Amino acid sequence: MSMVFLGGALVAAAVTLFILQPILSGLHASLVRAEDELTDTEARKRVTLLALRDVEYDFLAGKLDEEDYLSLKADFTAEALAALEADAAGSKPHFLDDDVEAEITKIRAALRSGLMCRSCGFGNDDGSYFCSECGQELKIGAVG
Amino acid sequence: MTILGEYALWIALPISVWGVLLGYVGGRTQRGDYVLSAERSIYAVFFLLVLASLGVVSAFLGDKFEYWYVASYSNREMEIFYKITGLWAGQRGSLLFWAVILAFFSTLCVFLNRKKNREFMPYVAGVLQTILTFFLIVLLFADVNPFEQLAFTPANGQGLNPQLQNYWMTIHPPTLYLGFTAFTIPFAFAVAALLNGRLDARWIELTHRWILLSWLFLAVGIIFGMRWAYEELGWGGYWFWDPVENASLLPWLTATAFLHSIQIQEKRGMLKVWNMSLVLLTFLLTIFATFLTRSGLIESVHSFAQELKIAYIFLSFMGIVLLACILLIIYRLPKLQSENSMQSFLSRESAFLFNNLMLLGFAFAVFWGTIFPLVAEGVTGEKISVGPPFFEKVNFPIGLVLLALAGIGPVIAWRRATKRNLQKNFQIPICVGLLVAVSLWMAGARHGLALVTWSVCAFVLTIIATEFWKGTQARARIEGEGYAVALFHLVTRNRRRWGGYIVHVGIVMIYFAFAGAAYNVDERQHMLPGDQVDITSPFGHTYTLTYEGLSVSLGRGQRNLLWQAIATVSVEQDGVAKGILTTEKRQYVTSDQLMTEVGIRSTVREDLYLILSAMDDVDGALSANSGAQGIDLQVLVKPFVAWIWFGGVILALGTVIALWPSVNRRRRSTRPELEAVTTDAPAMAGAAR
Repeated sequence: MSMVFLGGALVAAAVTLFILQPILSGLHASLVRAEDELTDTEARKRVTLLALRDVEYDFLAGKLDEEDYLSLKADFTAEALAALEADAAGSKPHFLDDDVEAEITKIRAALRSGLMCRSCGFGNDDGSYFCSECGQELKIGAVG
Repeated sequence: MTILGEYALWIALPISVWGVLLGYVGGRTQRGDYVLSAERSIYAVFFLLVLASLGVVSAFLGDKFEYWYVASYSNREMEIFYKITGLWAGQRGSLLFWAVILAFFSTLCVFLNRKKNREFMPYVAGVLQTILTFFLIVLLFADVNPFEQLAFTPANGQGLNPQLQNYWMTIHPPTLYLGFTAFTIPFAFAVAALLNGRLDARWIELTHRWILLSWLFLAVGIIFGMRWAYEELGWGGYWFWDPVENASLLPWLTATAFLHSIQIQEKRGMLKVWNMSLVLLTFLLTIFATFLTRSGLIESVHSFAQELKIAYIFLSFMGIVLLACILLIIYRLPKLQSENSMQSFLSRESAFLFNNLMLLGFAFAVFWGTIFPLVAEGVTGEKISVGPPFFEKVNFPIGLVLLALAGIGPVIAWRRATKRNLQKNFQIPICVGLLVAVSLWMAGARHGLALVTWSVCAFVLTIIATEFWKGTQARARIEGEGYAVALFHLVTRNRRRWGGYIVHVGIVMIYFAFAGAAYNVDERQHMLPGDQVDITSPFGHTYTLTYEGLSVSLGRGQRNLLWQAIATVSVEQDGVAKGILTTEKRQYVTSDQLMTEVGIRSTVREDLYLILSAMDDVDGALSANSGAQGIDLQVLVKPFVAWIWFGGVILALGTVIALWPSVNRRRRSTRPELEAVTTDAPAMAGAAR
């Protein structure tokens, strides 16, 4: 019985020492944001970029029509720029969400070439002026 | 070991109180040493609670019946497996089990964030320790100490309720507890964010992930519970709207609401107060769930008298937490203002909002139906019951609306859906839904609710399939990838969205299965050996069941089994032999009631479910009297039940995909910012009509 009591006392002492050590010997936990962690504005910008990419994709897939696409794109672009400006004020090294932005660029290129039919979403071959699927006129080079 | 475990519980209390103080003070004063001490106290409490749990388990394994808890839930003859899992067999042990799992998640949270989210962590540690302190106080001072000893040592214990000696019942509480306790983490981050005022994009991302994880555990736990009820309770059902089931459903519903409405906050900066409230409410409901199921309130309000202490402590805690949350939200109201407003009733925002209202309505109905009998009995002394009819009447319509929204949400436009948008995206799915309804009608299906459910299922599936198809096609085009690769990249590049769609597929499968209950067949027949009965399935084929006979085996008290009587039934389907099913009656040492084990033959289409309801002559059968073999056999044919379990797997898969981490770190680059976005601004202005 006394063995157990001793064991208990040892555990209590060890645990107490463990939690008091920082205060006694001046160990500190970090309280600042780590170098590679996103700031609030960076996080916000990332969310906006992803939303923008989704909008591009939905338009490419024929889910959104042009009016909605342009309106949403304008809003998200403005938001992303605003977040960028708020960020730039801190003059940190550039943050770039490579993959997402590369995707957006690619989609824009595909849309710009106009080979994606606005009506039915069919992807036409190079050199087409009318959609092979639904016959609508293709708007080559019109919208970015 | 057991006594050491008891000491560990006492030592843990001052340590956790220390953690509470240093967490908050460290956060306020921004002192790194205080914060480190608070974080270490969480590791310490986890260690001590593990010791305490090991103490209880060692008492079970050592047959130490001087402990009330061991004597109540174990005996010498019990299998080792159930002695170990006896830790969560009863109220006291399960409170300790809850605490140790909570401590585990707290440790995990603190460890994973030792270099991240540092602005939040001091307060997070403080909040987590506050809740751990609460559970320690309950364990030590509310007459529910698992280490409480009897005045004498019984020769043997009472053993475990045989219904709990089942694989599913053993893993079901741990999975549920993982779900409940996991919600404490996002709650802690929410309170930390309210305290330090950082309520922006990072808090959303953090909270979203933890809530999704907790939601997954809880969903799996609930489905496991349904499986247990179906296989073990032997009533042929999987959900009974009983208080314990309802209690586990409530936080799941509010968490589901959060997972949807948070997207509105992400995309449009709206509903900030609402979302914060949902996180806090979800946590409170998990505490409510443990209160309801562990305070003895459910057995009868009259047992309330004996359990007064624990009930008061729980109610006070919930009251204090609720008050604190309300005050904190009011304090931070300025930072929780909406940035935008709802523009149209027909929009994705309003679809999500409607989804939330439906889920909260559902939750309120379940909550009210659960506590009303308790409140009424407390006030009037009369026992009333609110049963399945109430819940079904209110919840079925709400459930259908929710199902439909799962189809509408993904394709309706943000902000304002135009007529073109509606036409383009809903025309075909609605036609498919109607087609399914008409086809089923023509095939003879007449049950209104089932028909509606199945056609809405078809509607939703069409929309989801189209989403995947269009997305894959678009990606394949611009990336020049093959369709399989495109699909893979599509999903991995936006896991939350596509994982979410997969979760919806799982939900559709579950609804599909639920609607099958409209066509359940249920017959009861008295049979003697050699008798045959024909049962027609709703699909048109006929099962011919031949009762072969009863075989009785007498146990010698091992595994606490006195005897079991096994009825063997051979099954033929339209003349083709399909094997045999058995169903049994068992008598355990530890219970006066006979237990029933059912026999289930499960196929994709339906389950054939046999219940040995009654034996004509139990004594005769035990004496191997050949004339005493008559039985009452209950036969059920339950369409589509297997789809509940399939749907559960798909749901879990979708959630895992949604949760799968992607790189979210800063990378260094010298390229100008947002080149792809900004160069289009002039082009866009020129092209705009």
